[in-house]
Amino acid sequence: MLIVFFLPHLLYFSSYWSKILKMKKDNKPDNTAFTQQRLPAWQPVLSVGIVLPLFFIIGLAFIGIGIGLLITSNNIQEFEEEYTGIGDNSNCYICANNATANCKCTLNFTIAQPIQGSVFMYYGLTNYYQNHQKYLSSRDDQQLAGETYYLKNPSQSCKPYQMDINNNPIAPCGSIANSFFNDAFALYYNNQGFLDEVKLDGSAIAWWTDHNVKFSNPSQTGSNLSQIFEGTVKPINWSKPVYNLDVNNPDNNGFINEDFLVWMRTAALPDFRKLYRRISGNYSSFMPSGNYTLEITYNYPVKDLPGKKKVIFSTVSWMGGKNQFLGIAYLVFGSLCFVMGFILLIVYAKYQNVEDNDD
Amino acid sequence: MNAFLVVYLCILISKALVNTVLKYVWQSNPNRDEPWYNQKTESERQRNTFLKAFTDFLAFMVLFNYIIPVSMYVTVEMQKFLGSYFITWDEEMFDDELGEGALVNTSDLNEELGQVEYVFTDKTGTLTENNMQFIECCIDGHVYVPHAICNGQIMPGTTGIDMIDSSPVEEGMESEELFFRALCLCHTVQVKEEETIDGIKKGLQQCSKSSSSSVYISSSPDEVALVEGMKRLGFTYLRLKDSYMEIQNREDSIERFELMEVLSFDSVRRRMSVIVRSHTGDYYLFCKGADSSIFPRVIKGKVEQVRARVEHNAVEGLRTLCVAYKMLKKDEYESVCRQLNSAKLALHDREKKLAEAYDEIEQDLILLGATAVEDRLQEKAADTIESLHKAGMKVWVLTGDKMETAAATCYASRLFHRNTQILELTTKRTEEQSLHDVLFELSRTVHQHSGSLSRDSISGLSQDMQDYGLIIDGATLSSVMKPTEDGSSGNYKEIFLEICRNCSAVLCCRMAPLQKAQIVKLIKASKEHPITLAIGDGANDVSMILEAHVGIGIMGKEGRQAARNSDYAIPKFKHLKKMLLVHGHYYYIRIAELVQYFFYKNVCFIFPQFLYQFFCGFSQQPLYDTAYLTLYNISFTSLPILLYSLIEQHVGMDILKKDPYLYMDISKNCLLRWRTFIYWTFLGVFDALVFFFGAYFLFDNTTLTSNGQMFGNWTFGTLVFTVLVFTVTLKLALDTHYWTWINHFVIWGSLLFYVVFSLLWGGIIWPFLNYQRMYYVFMQMLSSGPAWLGIILLITVSLLPDVVKKVICRQLWPTTAEKIQTKRQCLTVEQSTIFMLSQTSSSISF
Repeated sequence: MLIVFFLPHLLYFSSYWSKILKMKKDNKPDNTAFTQQRLPAWQPVLSVGIVLPLFFIIGLAFIGIGIGLLITSNNIQEFEEEYTGIGDNSNCYICANNATANCKCTLNFTIAQPIQGSVFMYYGLTNYYQNHQKYLSSRDDQQLAGETYYLKNPSQSCKPYQMDINNNPIAPCGSIANSFFNDAFALYYNNQGFLDEVKLDGSAIAWWTDHNVKFSNPSQTGSNLSQIFEGTVKPINWSKPVYNLDVNNPDNNGFINEDFLVWMRTAALPDFRKLYRRISGNYSSFMPSGNYTLEITYNYPVKDLPGKKKVIFSTVSWMGGKNQFLGIAYLVFGSLCFVMGFILLIVYAKYQNVEDNDD
Repeated sequence: MNAFLVVYLCILISKALVNTVLKYVWQSNPNRDEPWYNQKTESERQRNTFLKAFTDFLAFMVLFNYIIPVSMYVTVEMQKFLGSYFITWDEEMFDDELGEGALVNTSDLNEELGQVEYVFTDKTGTLTENNMQFIECCIDGHVYVPHAICNGQIMPGTTGIDMIDSSPVEEGMESEELFFRALCLCHTVQVKEEETIDGIKKGLQQCSKSSSSSVYISSSPDEVALVEGMKRLGFTYLRLKDSYMEIQNREDSIERFELMEVLSFDSVRRRMSVIVRSHTGDYYLFCKGADSSIFPRVIKGKVEQVRARVEHNAVEGLRTLCVAYKMLKKDEYESVCRQLNSAKLALHDREKKLAEAYDEIEQDLILLGATAVEDRLQEKAADTIESLHKAGMKVWVLTGDKMETAAATCYASRLFHRNTQILELTTKRTEEQSLHDVLFELSRTVHQHSGSLSRDSISGLSQDMQDYGLIIDGATLSSVMKPTEDGSSGNYKEIFLEICRNCSAVLCCRMAPLQKAQIVKLIKASKEHPITLAIGDGANDVSMILEAHVGIGIMGKEGRQAARNSDYAIPKFKHLKKMLLVHGHYYYIRIAELVQYFFYKNVCFIFPQFLYQFFCGFSQQPLYDTAYLTLYNISFTSLPILLYSLIEQHVGMDILKKDPYLYMDISKNCLLRWRTFIYWTFLGVFDALVFFFGAYFLFDNTTLTSNGQMFGNWTFGTLVFTVLVFTVTLKLALDTHYWTWINHFVIWGSLLFYVVFSLLWGGIIWPFLNYQRMYYVFMQMLSSGPAWLGIILLITVSLLPDVVKKVICRQLWPTTAEKIQTKRQCLTVEQSTIFMLSQTSSSISF
């Protein structure tokens, strides 16, 4: 930045010096291609003749890509169930209105077509502004990176969740952490009357770099996590302390709990989904058609926002999840290029002669 | 440019206002204002609503302030400063004789060089060489022509003089000698001795042979020419010593005259006088000056013959001076002395009193004769004027010379053609008719013509339109400018301007220096507000150089005053052609693109951020990371446009010089008009919409990776930003017509720099930052197939409309420059095909 501002001055002085040096010689300007503005140059002209084939090529290529994308997108199977609990007849109505902790409700759904391939399970929220400026900045990356000083002295930006009423530091501090999504799901396959649990795998749902580099627990030799976090308090809305998030897997606790990492990667738009689990075990590569039961531990309040909660099951291809937009956009734009090409061709053919007559 | 800025300021403020208002409308629902997951601190809750609204407004202003391209000013200044070097560097504008090239005194006006509509030029020293040659003199109607060249062969005496008319009789001899002495004495020439005192003596003896030993120096080249001419006719001015002027006459004897008074030259009086005392004790007053200022003061002498000769010479384009004298008696001289002294000592109005005294003294003269001095046209002056005409500029010659001389020069310099119809607005005519009638008659003539022209142009019959040239002299001009008695002051001026507008060339002769500035001012203030350029070489041109938008000084013989007071100084008039047609043209298209592009790229930059506010609860959340916000204008997109604005050449230099018509392509500020500006702005808005909503739909509730993981808001912003940087840079690439290796380097280099920077910025945990929001965001984005496809799609979509517009405009309504580009393209293609054909045929023949 500085260089840019000082560049004119530098040049001025350099020219000044060159003037002094040139005093001895005559002051005839240098005859270089640059100073005489005669550098060899390629001088392309955007004429119809060049652009026309370009349009057709782009059109063809884009239509091709578009078709490929659409087919891929259509092969992706996606299944979405809302469980907000609005409306008397919905299963989670009671849980949504009774604010008791760990209220359970179940959701039954049918998968008509068997799903081939690995299936990912997402939870989705709507009308939830994770991208609100105040919310987004209410975190302390240094605390989350495991720096011991910041563990006890969280950043001001975490306010109002920096310290609790007793002036104890909150770990992890800030609004984002405090509003950590705390619904839990269990999935069962209705196999001729009895319920077979579908195993859910919660590993590698967050970015590898988040898990291994950006976030880490404060380290202290010879002490376990709960000792390290001594002196801090859990975020106000949390039921469990951060070192006890995953009771089944002790390595998945603290700041590097994967569910927590997923939540901390704030969504771009107010309607978003986040990866919850991958289906593993017997059903990891094939989910048969039939009835399923989703058991929901309902904790997360969205009714007042007013927002919706949903779970999504989706397969994934090389291009990610289901996304019709990209394919359609490519198709539409490719065709547009083609149409434009034809229009240009007509213009070209019609007015070519006029120009020739001019000459 | 400033008007555009005001528009953008309005856009900025309205954007901030709209967002603030919407924010509070949106927040009226408490669940939105303070949802449970995003609670405020106690102090935030208690803040005054109006204060909050105001801070919100300011925060939005800060968020959107990038739309006002502050960096544009820095870049424009740099472009002007660096760009002006191309003028000084230009070898074609270097004059070997002077050993100097063009000088740029201010770089602020580079682009105005491309917008000039009126060129006001001085004649002497600008159009002409200001290298005077004594041609002839006329004494009492007898014409004397010195031998063509003073090569040292001419002996003193009558042999050196060809007498065209008749040999002088006795009394002729006397007035002849008086005339020569007059010219030898009546001047302010100084003699510069080149050798030592011994050398002078040698020089004195050999004076007629070697003129190099003593050099005459004067502020006026005419005087030097005259004194040198006299030397060739046998009377050599030696020096001024102890207020004695020494002349060596034909008999090689030295005559000494005591110099009593010098009534120095000024351009209002147009004459000068000296009072000398001869060795016999007689007082003489010698006066020389323009014919118009001498003839009215003459009481004796062969006025008619001299006047005829003067007019004859003037028509030939020679500069003429008349010489007169008067004998003063001692008491007369003393009264003159008193007069002069009292005027010189006056405390108030000294100038005026001096002028009055001069006026009184220079009366009742006896006409001796006239001289003719030639001032050759500068090299390529005619060609330059013709090109300027073709480029649609109106050329005005403003000179102090008499009308016939000036008109002859104008014909020679092709300011007037043979078929130019000359309209005269001179004292001669206004003596016959009233000024009013003349003006109306002229305007009628001009309008008749323009009426018929419009008819003709409809029928498409007339090819070359009738050219009008106007000649006006100083006296008439001042009466035109003078408010009329009945109070309608602007009346004549308007008619006069109307006439001038229809004339392609105007010659103003007998102008005083201030009148030159007055004319420039008059044109400048006319209702079209044309850009004016004044070019001159002497001190008397300074006022007009300062008055005009662009002032150009010629590094002439009359000192460097004009060059120092000008915006640009060039060695010769012919360099004006390249200055305007090439440099001016280039600077204009460069700066126009620079300005428009800057607005465009900042709209593209900020508009997505504006749109993002609608999706983040109007919370002033920036879409891009801080580093991107800061570096966008400074390093990602600044260099390509700076370079473009320095070296872009849409058409070759030679073509610009060959086809002056191209200058009209950019006349009337056509690239910076509202239409273009609005087009660029809309293009920016369109691109911004494409970026934002493209990314929006791409991210809409889906994963973009094959491992099912989700992207966050910073990936969203980075995707938009990547598309933005690429689109904006490629848009410039599409506009570039002149791809040197530097362009390639800078354009691809800055894209590469963006990628490398982003990789680095996201690749490291930066220890000095307290947030790591960008960590691995860019890499993660690049690892996603749909993100790549999306980026490619969005870049293409945002560039397409501009390409289509360009191609269609080029095909249907090509500008002259575009036609030439196409033609050149065809030629090169043809050449290469011919080359290929010849190669194949030769290979076949083998």
